[in-house]
Amino acid sequence: MAGAIIENMSTRKLCIVGGILLVFQVIAFLVGGLIAPSPTTAVPYTSMKCIDVRKNHHKTKWLMPWGPNHCDKLKDFDEAVSRQIEANDIVFAVHIPLPNKEMSPWFQFMLFIMQLDIAFKMDNDLKENAEITLDVSLAYRDGMFDDWEEIAHAIEIRKLKCTFGSPKTLESEGRHYDCDFLPFMEIGSVAHKYYLINIRLPVNERKGINVGIGEIKDIRLVGIHQNGGFTKVWFAMKTFLTPSILIIMVWYWRRITLMTRAPVLLEKVIFALGISMTFINIPVEWFSIGFDWTWMLLFGDIRQGIFYAMLLSFWIIFCGEHMMDQNERNRLSGYWKQVGPIAVGSFCLFIFDMCERGVQLKNPFYSIWTTEVGTELAGLIFRFKFLMLITLACAAMTVIFFIVSQVTEGHWRWGDVTIQVNSAFFTGIYGMWNLYVFALMFLYAPSHKNYGEDQSNGDLGVSSGEELQLTTTITHVDGPTEVYKLARKEAQE
Amino acid sequence: MRSSTFLLLSIVGICGAVLNAAAWSVNNFLMTGPKAYLTYSSSVAAGAQSGMEECKFQFGWERWNCPESALQLSTHNRLRSATRETSFVHAISSAGVMYTLTRNCSMGDFESCGCDDSRNGRVGGRGWVWGGCSDNVEFGERISKLFVDALETGHDTRALINLHNNEVGRLAVKATMKRACKCHGVSGSCSIQTCWLQLADFREIGNYLKMKYDQAHKLEMDKRRMRAGNSADSRGATAETFHHVHSTELVFLEDSPDYCTRNASLGHHGTEGRECLQSGKNLSQWERRSCRRLCTECGLRVEERRTEVVSSCNCKFHWCCTVRCEQCRQLVAKHFCARRDAAVANHTKRRNKGHKR
Repeated sequence: MAGAIIENMSTRKLCIVGGILLVFQVIAFLVGGLIAPSPTTAVPYTSMKCIDVRKNHHKTKWLMPWGPNHCDKLKDFDEAVSRQIEANDIVFAVHIPLPNKEMSPWFQFMLFIMQLDIAFKMDNDLKENAEITLDVSLAYRDGMFDDWEEIAHAIEIRKLKCTFGSPKTLESEGRHYDCDFLPFMEIGSVAHKYYLINIRLPVNERKGINVGIGEIKDIRLVGIHQNGGFTKVWFAMKTFLTPSILIIMVWYWRRITLMTRAPVLLEKVIFALGISMTFINIPVEWFSIGFDWTWMLLFGDIRQGIFYAMLLSFWIIFCGEHMMDQNERNRLSGYWKQVGPIAVGSFCLFIFDMCERGVQLKNPFYSIWTTEVGTELAGLIFRFKFLMLITLACAAMTVIFFIVSQVTEGHWRWGDVTIQVNSAFFTGIYGMWNLYVFALMFLYAPSHKNYGEDQSNGDLGVSSGEELQLTTTITHVDGPTEVYKLARKEAQE
Repeated sequence: MRSSTFLLLSIVGICGAVLNAAAWSVNNFLMTGPKAYLTYSSSVAAGAQSGMEECKFQFGWERWNCPESALQLSTHNRLRSATRETSFVHAISSAGVMYTLTRNCSMGDFESCGCDDSRNGRVGGRGWVWGGCSDNVEFGERISKLFVDALETGHDTRALINLHNNEVGRLAVKATMKRACKCHGVSGSCSIQTCWLQLADFREIGNYLKMKYDQAHKLEMDKRRMRAGNSADSRGATAETFHHVHSTELVFLEDSPDYCTRNASLGHHGTEGRECLQSGKNLSQWERRSCRRLCTECGLRVEERRTEVVSSCNCKFHWCCTVRCEQCRQLVAKHFCARRDAAVANHTKRRNKGHKR
């Protein structure tokens, strides 16, 4: 037993394997492009301005924007002035979803951003670095006539970042500021049918709360959730890919244990990569359909993080195996300088993620990006997209499709057929990584053929001079496979 | 926006009857809609109203200042004209209706916005859970078309022009929409990104259409074929001419009348008694020339009147609903257009006129 399959297989068979993998890759893209809808949907909501009559009646805590028990509505704030209603008596109510619709567990997650329509007024200008204090509460119910159950209640402070495009003259009064949207809420599971958000903007002049925030005309929310159709296609793909990677993993490890020597480091790393891919693949998300597991979003992030860290480590070890000295090879400790930072980086990302998504388990309105530390970290981490950038081998594909998905409108039309480009991107890339790991395991598994049987194998991308080297450098049978040695030679040159 | 328009109007001096007149003309919109769409009627009315308010704002310092009668004129078949100004009125009112419907959609005012049955069987038509609904804008556009275009019952060139201008207004809403995106990948990275289109401030749509008004295209018809009276022939000529017009361009048929002078039959009041801006900081070139445009060039003189205005000042504002203001007295100089002769004798008369309006 010597050499990996990639070294011993005939060119023809290699092409066949490559062709089959390519077919699966194309299928992965087509699944997303033709079957799945776009991955996410953004639904705009405009909040209803309700008058809080709780003080007088003690009737209900929750104010509904529409429906049978809707609140006492205000058309605009001019009406509030004429009715002598104060800012503290106004509640912004948003019902999710819009009438005649229901939320579904297939949506997987919901995140909301907030947009404030602040009108310019000469004598009520927006202060520099103004902060808005929101008293927000979230409730759910599963029947149209059930009582609302509270999920969370919090008082949140958000920084307003607004610019005004026109000169600040009397003429421009009433124009809206151009404000950055604010992160508002994130929920990791959509287990209920109806949600209700009540937002209050309490004013306290003595404490300086909500003073100098201009004249607010409207509060708009945009709700983003994953499309149910996309979730279904995604789950189907996961369910299909899990056994295929699992089977090749078992097969790979059996091959390795059959050998007389102990597995080398690279082989172990490939196996670990297989494990992390399987970890991503296992479709535990099916449970989110039946259970209200809000930590699923966090769990998904962790799984993805582990895989990327593993992939990065694999690449470093793969390169290192060919460049380092003979005596330092084959030990993980030899790579601590390279793998260490990856581990530290991944750990930092994990902590950061825990800080946001972890806290959101308790308080869905929490956002790290609005805190002082968070905005500083955002310089550091937001651009620190190494997780995406390390996808070197598949980078070309990933980047091309990434750009395509950013530039285009999300779907292409070819006659009657509509192609969901964004979905194609997701399923395609996901399929690609699976195939990548699959191919890696298959090709780097020890070959059972005797070495030298397939000398016709000239398509390894090496020149004839090194081919000669190939035959002469076999010194010990159970050493690392030839490709590694060969690559090291190239690297040294 | 509405409050500022209102503020401006009160400065100009048009108060009182404005709202009543508006309600009257806006009701025309409601009479046309199919009965099944009664739920939309209040939004349609509000939309047409906001369109007219925007029109008033945009034409505040022009000779033609978008009187309420402009909207009525367009709906009275007998008095229809197709000037540059009516093209703007058509566009802004259909844009206003579409805008308001779209906005009210996101407030939950209607049972089915982008998710109604009309989309079944089409792309994304597999329902809300599978792939979400279509944009509310499409809904707004559809309903606006239903209501506003139904006002146009004729089949002549004017009708075609009006329908075209309605469409220009709706396209303006779409053209000014802004694309916003949110990244929500791992740790806020952009590996997953969701984008959507959102409505611009209605003022921006007004500005856009004002620009289109300035560039409006006069339709040069083959007059002889038109006069021949053969409707099929004239329709052919119209279709031919429309071929060259871009779908985002406003189109008119007749040159505007002289808006300096009062013309009761056409429903404009002339510029006599109108306020204009002469001095003051932060005025645009257009505003600074308003006195010349409204008064001098119309053969009127500029009259300065000093009035004491009591206004609230040093206010402590909350984000909504003013509290605690002081009353300030200020001497303000305003400029009005007045007739060159017998200025004193006309003074009281003009005032009355201004009030009546």
